[in-house]
Amino acid sequence: MLLCSPAVGFGDVKVLVLGLGNPLLGDDGVGWRVAEQVKERVADPDIEIDFHSGGGLSLMERLIGYNCAIIIDALNTGRKPQGNVDCFRLEDLPNTAQSHLASAHETTLRTAIQVGRTMGADLPNDIIIVAIEAQNVYDFSEQLSPAVASAVPQAVELVIGQLVNRSTS
Amino acid sequence: MQRITIDPITRLEGHGKIEIFLNDDGSVANTYFQIPELRGFERFCVGRPIEEMAVITGRICGVCPEAHHMAAAKAADAVYHVEIPRPAKLLRELLYSAFYVTDHTTHFYALGGPDFVMGPDAPVAERNILGVIHKVGLEIAGKVLQARKAGHTVIEMIGGRKVHPCTSIPGGLSKGITKEQRDEIEKMGRWAIEFAQFSLKLFGDIVLGNKAYVDLILGDIYTHRTYSIGTVDENNKVNFYDGKVSVVDPEGKRLGKYAASEYTDWIAEHVEPWTYLKFPYLKKVGWKGFVDGKDSGVYFATPLSRLNSADGMATPLAQAEYEKFYKTLGGKPVHQRLTIHWARLIELLYAAERWVELVTDPEITSDNFRTIPTEKPMEGVGIVEAPRGTLTHHYWTDERGIVTKANLIVGTTNNYAPITMSIKKAADSFIKKGVVVSEGILNRVEMAFRAYDPCFGCATHSLPGQMPLQVTIRDARGEVVQVLRQFCD
Repeated sequence: MLLCSPAVGFGDVKVLVLGLGNPLLGDDGVGWRVAEQVKERVADPDIEIDFHSGGGLSLMERLIGYNCAIIIDALNTGRKPQGNVDCFRLEDLPNTAQSHLASAHETTLRTAIQVGRTMGADLPNDIIIVAIEAQNVYDFSEQLSPAVASAVPQAVELVIGQLVNRSTS
Repeated sequence: MQRITIDPITRLEGHGKIEIFLNDDGSVANTYFQIPELRGFERFCVGRPIEEMAVITGRICGVCPEAHHMAAAKAADAVYHVEIPRPAKLLRELLYSAFYVTDHTTHFYALGGPDFVMGPDAPVAERNILGVIHKVGLEIAGKVLQARKAGHTVIEMIGGRKVHPCTSIPGGLSKGITKEQRDEIEKMGRWAIEFAQFSLKLFGDIVLGNKAYVDLILGDIYTHRTYSIGTVDENNKVNFYDGKVSVVDPEGKRLGKYAASEYTDWIAEHVEPWTYLKFPYLKKVGWKGFVDGKDSGVYFATPLSRLNSADGMATPLAQAEYEKFYKTLGGKPVHQRLTIHWARLIELLYAAERWVELVTDPEITSDNFRTIPTEKPMEGVGIVEAPRGTLTHHYWTDERGIVTKANLIVGTTNNYAPITMSIKKAADSFIKKGVVVSEGILNRVEMAFRAYDPCFGCATHSLPGQMPLQVTIRDARGEVVQVLRQFCD
C-alpha cells in the first residue's frame, strides 16, 4: 500500500527517511538499525537518510523542508507480537502510542506539527510511520532482541518499497 | 490496613502507575507512584573508557543530554585530577547557558507552562502549547522555536552537534570557537535576554494578574516544607555549571555546602520494596519517611530549590526578578511547588544574561582550551545543575581509565520522595470517605508532579494533559475500590 503521495515530478521533491530511537536502549534502537540498512541500499540525491533521538518539537523541527517523511521507530503497544511491522500515516497513529512520537518532555508529534504548520513552517504533507513492535526498550544494551532483529529486513523492504513506489508513480 | 506487595517487576508499558491505599475511614493512607526506570546503565558503562562517558551518557535522556555530557566531562576531569584551562570553563559554561535557555523555554511554553497559562481547570484539549498560542498569539510559537534554534546553534558550535555534544574531553575541549561564531553567539544571546524578559512579563500579566491562579499557586495543596538544594558559586549565587551544592533547611537556614567529591557525606539513598528507583535523602538529617519538616531528610532539587539555596542571582536583571519573587511570595524560602514555574523563568533570564557575559569575555576565543592530563586516573565525581535538579556522576576506573563502576543520581531522582508526597496530597483533597469526589483528580495529580519537570528518561511516553495514567484505589483490606484511567487502553 502506497502511503506517500506520488511524486509530482519536479526536481526539488525531497524525502527524509528517519531512524528514530535510542541506540543504547536495546530494542529502542531498531529504527536506527533499519535506517542504516536503507542507507546502504539507497543512493538518490532526493532521498536523505538520517537518525534522530528526540520527539515532539525537536522531531518536528527536523522535518522542516521535506515533502515526505518516513519515520522508523519502535512501538510498544503490548498488543502485537514482538517484531510485528506496521506502516501507517501519522494521522492514523493510535492516540496512546508508546513511541518517540509522544515523549515525556515534548508535545506529541501531531501537536508539534500543528504548531509548526500554524507558524507557516514548511512541513511534509506525508508523514509515514514504520513501526516495529518492541518491548525491551528499558534496558541498556546495544543489541536488538532476536524477535525484533529478525523484523529488520522486513521493515527495510517496506521502507524501500515506499520509496520506489513513490518515485515511479 | 492490609499490606499489599506491589511487584515492581510488572511492566508499566510507558505509563505512570499510582496505587492509593485507604484507611478504614476512607481517608488516604498512602500513595505509591511507580515509574518505569531505565535499567542497567551503571553496568553498561563498565569496561568502557572514562572519556566515552561524556558522549554515551548524553543518550540517557533525549532532552538534557547536555547536562549529562557536562557532569560526565567534569567527572572525567576529576578522575584524571586535571584542572581545565579558563577558556575551556568559559566555553563549557556558555554552551550550558544556551542549553538552559532552550530547555527552560520548552518546558515553560510546551510542558508545565500550559497548566499555568491556561489554568488548571481548562479543558485537557487546551492545556498544551496550542492552547497557549491561541491565548497569547501566534508570535509566541515563533519565539519559542527561535529560542530553541538559537540555543541549539550555540550547542553545535561549541559542542560539535546540535543536541548531543561531543567536544568535552578530559582536560578541556577538543575545539574552540572562531571570532565569527563568537559574534553570532553574542547576537543570539542578546535576543535571548529580551525573550526572557518578555516571558516574565507574559507570566506576570496572565498568571500573577489572575487571582484564581494566584490562589492555586499559593494554596496548600502543592506545598511541602522540605530542604532545598542547589549549586552556588563562591558568592553563593546560583550557578548551573560549577560550584558547591548548598543545602538549606525549610526555614531558610543553610546547613552547609558540599563539593562534588564530598557528596557521599551528604546524600544517601533509601530503598523501598515497591520500586526500583531509590529515594535520596540528606544523611545528616536522616530518613524519617515521606514527611515534611526540618527533621526529615527529604529534600527537593528544582529551579525553586536552587533559588532558595542561594543568596541571589549573579546577573542584574535576574537578581531584580529574584527579589521581586520573594517579596511577592512573602519571603524566603518559598515552598509552594507551583512557583517552580515562575522560578524557572527567572533562571531563564539568568541563563541568557550569563550567555552574553561569557561570550563577551576576551578569553572566549582563546585556543588554550585543553590541558593534557598527566595524573593516573582512579575515581572522580562531576556535579552540575540539570534543569530538573542537581545531577551527580560518580565513576571509578582502573589505572588505564577504564570504568569499573558508576553511580549516577539524576535530576529527577532527587525529587522522587517529594513527588510522591505531592501526589499523596493531591489525592487527599479528592478522596473523601473512600469516594473520589471529582474527576479532576487525574488532572490535579498530573499537575502535582509536572511542576517538578520530571524526567523519567525515554521510558515514559507522555505529554501534558495526555499522560497515560492509571490510578488504582484500594480500601483498607487492599481490595480495589476504583480504577481511574486516562489515555491507556
